[in-house]
Amino acid sequence: MLNKYQVGSFYDEMMNDDGQPKNHYESFYDLIRQLSDEELREKHETAQLSFLRQGITFTVYNDAGGTERTMPFDFVPIIIPEEQWAKIERGMKQRMKALNYFLDDIYNGQEIVKDGIVPEDLIRDNPNYYEKQVTGLEIPLRNHIFLAGIDLIRDEHGEYRVLEDNLRNPSGMSYVFQNRYVMRQVYPELFFKHSIRTLEHQFKELHGALISHAPKNTLAEPCAVLLTPGMYNSAYYDHVFLAQQMGIELVEGRDLIVKDDVVYMKTIRGLKRVDIIYRRIDDDFLDPEAFRPDSALGVTGLLRAYRKGNVAILNGIGNGVADDKAMYAYVPDMIRYYLDEDPIIKNVETYFLRDPEQLEYVLENLEDLVVKNVGASGGYDMLIGPHSTEEERSAFRRKIIETPSQYIAQPTIKLSRAPAFQNDEFYPCHVDLRVFVMNGATSHVLPGGLSRVALKKGSLVVNSSQGGGGKDTWVLAGGGMNHA
Amino acid sequence: MLSRVADSLYWMARNIERSENNARIMSTQLIHMLEASDQQVMDRDWEEILDICASKEDYYERYARMDRETVIQYITLSPMNYNSLQNSMIYARENAKATRDSIPDELWQLINRFYLDEKTQQDQAMTTQSTQAYLKDIIQMSMTAQGIIESTMTRGIPYAFIKIGKWIERAEKTARILNVVCEKTLRDSSDTENYYYWLTALQIVNGYDSYIKEHPPTMDPKDVLTFLIENEQFPRSIQYCVDHIMRATHKLESGKISHYSEDLFELLTGIQNEIRQTDISEMTMEELMEFLDHFQNSCYQVSRTFSETYYLVEPVHANH
Repeated sequence: MLNKYQVGSFYDEMMNDDGQPKNHYESFYDLIRQLSDEELREKHETAQLSFLRQGITFTVYNDAGGTERTMPFDFVPIIIPEEQWAKIERGMKQRMKALNYFLDDIYNGQEIVKDGIVPEDLIRDNPNYYEKQVTGLEIPLRNHIFLAGIDLIRDEHGEYRVLEDNLRNPSGMSYVFQNRYVMRQVYPELFFKHSIRTLEHQFKELHGALISHAPKNTLAEPCAVLLTPGMYNSAYYDHVFLAQQMGIELVEGRDLIVKDDVVYMKTIRGLKRVDIIYRRIDDDFLDPEAFRPDSALGVTGLLRAYRKGNVAILNGIGNGVADDKAMYAYVPDMIRYYLDEDPIIKNVETYFLRDPEQLEYVLENLEDLVVKNVGASGGYDMLIGPHSTEEERSAFRRKIIETPSQYIAQPTIKLSRAPAFQNDEFYPCHVDLRVFVMNGATSHVLPGGLSRVALKKGSLVVNSSQGGGGKDTWVLAGGGMNHA
Repeated sequence: MLSRVADSLYWMARNIERSENNARIMSTQLIHMLEASDQQVMDRDWEEILDICASKEDYYERYARMDRETVIQYITLSPMNYNSLQNSMIYARENAKATRDSIPDELWQLINRFYLDEKTQQDQAMTTQSTQAYLKDIIQMSMTAQGIIESTMTRGIPYAFIKIGKWIERAEKTARILNVVCEKTLRDSSDTENYYYWLTALQIVNGYDSYIKEHPPTMDPKDVLTFLIENEQFPRSIQYCVDHIMRATHKLESGKISHYSEDLFELLTGIQNEIRQTDISEMTMEELMEFLDHFQNSCYQVSRTFSETYYLVEPVHANH
């Protein structure tokens, strides 16, 4: 089955160069060898259908209107040994802490700019810097980042590195749970002999973190809601799932109203006061009075209520200034500056095209580099040098020369790979890992996270909008394997 | 509960119920037509079906004549017909999707699965047989949905809105059917024809079997009407539906009548009294028509007042 599997020059999560499984994959390897090709095919089908029927879909907009798609699921899990996970966990908490200090600083004294660590124009010119709306605000717990999704990759030596911080509306948490759910339903035999960290208690943590943000003017038991753009949003399922699991109301902008700077939701018995809003709509659309006047998704007067301390808005407004691809390169410096520590999980090396020397180097080495638009996400406006044509490279060269500060470049990392079972065979696919961090009165890292896999042969793009799929992620617990 | 969610639950239930009713009507009609031969009669039958399941006027705006294939298509799959079975299912699914956190997961999966399965079959040509199979599937799916609702849902607010939506839809439909059939009997007075019309009326509300247990198979119009309007045991009679709307609303309001629910209770009590005080067996056909007309209006009124009571309809002058 895995006999013809080629590890190649990449780091493989599961297999060694000699065709044997890595230690922490041994049990799993033995177990899948007991399944016939027929069984594997059948289970594969069942798993995909299960997502469709449950309506765990996202909406893709590029073709005629919106089409509902499921994220393909691959059953070979990413298994992470206990010690390795402990390090990731520490690294994530460290990064969160520094990023939150940074946001607090940026919207108050801007000490980090005064001390010359982060260039001022990088903040001033950032389209997601909301000086007018956020500066000087006293926000609950001084915490700007309630839920973050940090994307990790592993380089050719197997070392974890941070690829991207998502401090605004990181989606995908529901998939972590659904992947585990489907995995348990369809492949129960594969759990045998493994002892893995359960996902059962995560919502207690998430809900606790949410409620800990009750604003100072909360009168009674705080009422929290999740604000969604609605069922046509690509991440609607994520919103439904989170609201349901936390037992909070899922609301749309039109369900809320602000009266005398207090936010209410419209219920069948009239208006009910709302204290905490976990919003999954972008800053720009939150309040037509304070941001885009043409927004139909938001709630007029929301920001006034926020400023008065009558409502908490999570994640904080203006977080985009800390998680764009240009600021990313400064996060290690932030960690040193605010915490006086070295980063536990490193960044990927990044070239700034605003710097003439680095610009020159990048333009000369485009075919070896990955170039990204600092404002884009989801794998759009991105050049993957080794996979690009001369034409694409010259198009990017033009774009870079026109607005160099709009782009960054990174060496093409040999993203690690793991076997995926597609079209009746196992072949190596590139993977990354989105780790979810919940912050409130305390910080908590969800064990595992969403392993995304580029299922198109040879592709490096793991985003679900571009053909990426998902895998279950197992964090081994209590010694890991149970060989009994 | 959010008004928007209540509204979606209510319309989900109405659309499921509507698709079941219309599917049953269609199915009965297709079987009856097997024995009909007169083109004129058939055309008229189709017009009545359109009156019950959609709107004859809307149909004629698009199509010049009655044509079996066109009508079937119009009532089952047509995206142009707001009340086509396909559209009802789409609305039911959208409403279910918007309330996923308030309904049992099994219910969502049932509706979603049905939608996905139907979508894959859509490209195949509709034969009489496949049409019947499709209609049966819809009826089956509605019944399964009700089973899930009954066996899994807590008797709380979401449950109440779902049930009230179903009963309002049912009462309206039964009133509509009776109206159309009465008009028909006024036109043709031959006994055989009449017999056939009332039999159909019972069949399309799935009431024939229950009726025949209590009444002789002579299809006396007064008996049939009394059964479909006043019977307190038959779950599609108007009386039954109104009683249940009343009971559910009472429960929703914990037995109290507040200023905002006053109108609704008054309206429901009014209808209940009217039904009780009316002696159908004493009425002429003309009087009956009038009664049914008035009654159908009251049903619409209930649905409007209900929506207003719970803010399901956004007031025009929202105070921002």
